[in-house]
Amino acid sequence: MTDQRRPLFACRNLRVAIEDKQIVKGADLEIYAGQKHALMGPNGSGKSTLAAALMGHPAYQVEGEILLEGKPIQELPAHERARLGMFLGFQYPVAVPGVSVANFLRAAVSARRGEAVPIKEFRRELFAGFEALRIDRSFAGRYLNDGFSGGEKKRLEILQMLLLKPSFALLDETDSGLDIDALKVVSEGVNLAAGPHNATLLVTHYQRILDYVKPDVVHVFMDGRIVRSGGPELAVELEARGYDWLDEATAIEANETDTAAVAAADTAAKG
Amino acid sequence: MAESAVLSVASKPTVSTEMVTALSRTLGEHPGALAWRLRALARYDALTLPNRTEQRWRYTDPLALLPSAEALLRKLTSAASGSGNETAQQAAAEWKRLRDDEPAVLLMPGDGPRLNAAAEAAGVAIAPLWQTDADEELIGRAVPAAAGLFAALNGAAWNAGMTVRIPAGVELDQPLRIVLPAAAVSLPRLLIEVGPQAIATVIEEHCGGAAESRVVSVTELLIRPGARLHHVLVQRWQDGVHGHMTVRGRIERDAHFSSATAAFGGRVSKLDLGGILAGAGAHSELRGVVLGDRRQHFDHHTLHHHLSGNTRSDIDFKVAMAGRSRSTYTGLIRIEPDAPQSEAYQENRNLLLSAGSRADSIPELEILTDEVSCSHGATVAPIDPEQLFYLGSRGLGTDEAIQLIVRGFIASVMDRLPETVQTTVAELVSARLVRVTGGI
Ligand SMILES: Nc1ncnc2c1ncn2[C@@H]1O[C@H](COP(=O)(O)OP(=O)(O)O)[C@@H](O)[C@H]1O
Ligand SMILES: [Mg+2]
Repeated sequence: MTDQRRPLFACRNLRVAIEDKQIVKGADLEIYAGQKHALMGPNGSGKSTLAAALMGHPAYQVEGEILLEGKPIQELPAHERARLGMFLGFQYPVAVPGVSVANFLRAAVSARRGEAVPIKEFRRELFAGFEALRIDRSFAGRYLNDGFSGGEKKRLEILQMLLLKPSFALLDETDSGLDIDALKVVSEGVNLAAGPHNATLLVTHYQRILDYVKPDVVHVFMDGRIVRSGGPELAVELEARGYDWLDEATAIEANETDTAAVAAADTAAKG
Repeated sequence: MAESAVLSVASKPTVSTEMVTALSRTLGEHPGALAWRLRALARYDALTLPNRTEQRWRYTDPLALLPSAEALLRKLTSAASGSGNETAQQAAAEWKRLRDDEPAVLLMPGDGPRLNAAAEAAGVAIAPLWQTDADEELIGRAVPAAAGLFAALNGAAWNAGMTVRIPAGVELDQPLRIVLPAAAVSLPRLLIEVGPQAIATVIEEHCGGAAESRVVSVTELLIRPGARLHHVLVQRWQDGVHGHMTVRGRIERDAHFSSATAAFGGRVSKLDLGGILAGAGAHSELRGVVLGDRRQHFDHHTLHHHLSGNTRSDIDFKVAMAGRSRSTYTGLIRIEPDAPQSEAYQENRNLLLSAGSRADSIPELEILTDEVSCSHGATVAPIDPEQLFYLGSRGLGTDEAIQLIVRGFIASVMDRLPETVQTTVAELVSARLVRVTGGI
């Protein structure tokens, strides 16, 4: 039985710098099993930096605490975080020429499960994933992200999430650059993967995907900080008004009033 | 594991007329062979060491590849007296190992080369080099003794030579495998003729040896009109071996030469590999995968020489260096003035797996006519840390990620190996990758 009072994922006072430039200036998140959170913010606010740091990118200087199921993971390299159940859907998935999607995925799934997954079983899972995301089977033989269109890359990220079954998935702009059909497919994938025992953090700067994936909590991220958190209606408000109205002064004030809404959402998730 | 230092000789070793004469007599060669050897010897005597200011020798000391005069004398007199031939012993051991493992056709100079029944029935003929005068018109056609110091040394003093003739129109479904174990000093010479319209795969496998072994080999491949030759050179010497290998395919009209090099072993290894496109419609493809680690030094030179118009050449050389290893690649494309409508492509990519490794890549183009299509590319880069992070975020640790990235990097070469050698080379790649990632 999971401890309902303990968040599945949390970070506390997380600060991230690169080359002595402070990008994330203290971020706190608590995400419970069964929840979906959205982190929204303008371009350049540091969302991808935060996501990469949470996943364990070695180039960043990170201070603060990251907890996965109560276990501090901030000292672990990315592959150990992944094996423990973290997943990052990349804003810009990286190409690895010469490595086929199937070979890569089989290695990844084996690493996640801690044992080599038999070929037959793997193929079954792979093709089921292809079907769910309407990906052509010829993908299996293509080289990883090499020459893929933006949409193909994003579908493949979601496919990986379906196969790796993370307990906590961070999806960095998985919705950007998708046409409406692809967006629907990707959203279905996210909803398919989400369950009572895992959690998702959707990072985005558009409200669009939130029409298909309903978040429990929405955080607004600006200039390296979460300036406001609230329920799904916050995303709608952002869509209508943009980010500019949320200058820091109002944000600080608003933050206080919205604490109640966040608490309500958390209680709903726990209950 | 101790790393051997590069031990160079002080000067090029002396070879005497008497040594060469005795050698030729003991090997039972046709008199024509001795005359040819002595002409090569005159060349050898006249040649100075390669000029280190030339690109081709800038990074590799020729003195590190030559045997000492004493070792050479010992070797040649022992071959001449027919006693104490450790090559034969090594060859016998290799022969046994390989024969147990696989049914391929096996040939080995120094141990009485043998053919299997299928190849014999197809009319393939093997013989020690130049025992009949038939070899006179073939030898030196792809690698003349005048080609350079190493070609001249081998031409004067080869101590294990073999001719392979594949008759016209024959299609061999099994590869011919020629195993060349390195002795203290080895000067093997292969002469292979693929008759018109014939199709064959030849594996040239350099193996064995010990610290201080020196190898100077020459392989001449004559690919007659319409023939297709798949040539695979596997270099898996023991750690301390120093060697220089020359391989030339002479590609006649409408013939196809496809050569794949897989180099892993030795301390200092230089390969001079090329195709001479001598007739219209000739096509040459050179591919390479080189995986180095520790303090290995690899030097690869490729030549595509377009003598005739309407010819096509393509090079894809992939080099991955770990530890403190070092690689040099120089690629010369030469298109003669009367070789219009030729196409020549050359690509050399180098992946550095450690901060201490190094790779240099130098294209050399001599395009003497305008009506050609020619391109070349060279890159030297470390592994992309974003690739490591991406693979890491999927649960792959650094070693596993590097193995995957390197396998992807060399895939274009591996995928195009003849099927019959894919497993062998893949095993060598795996073994080296395990060693490399263990040592990072
Ligand atoms: N490797 C880096 N070196 C220096 N600055 C960086 C690096 N990566 C990102 N930045 C800077 O960090 C800020 C946040 O970028 P990013 O995290 O990509 O924002 P977002 O994902 O919200 O658009 C930007 O100002 C960007 O220029
Ligand atoms: Mg971003």
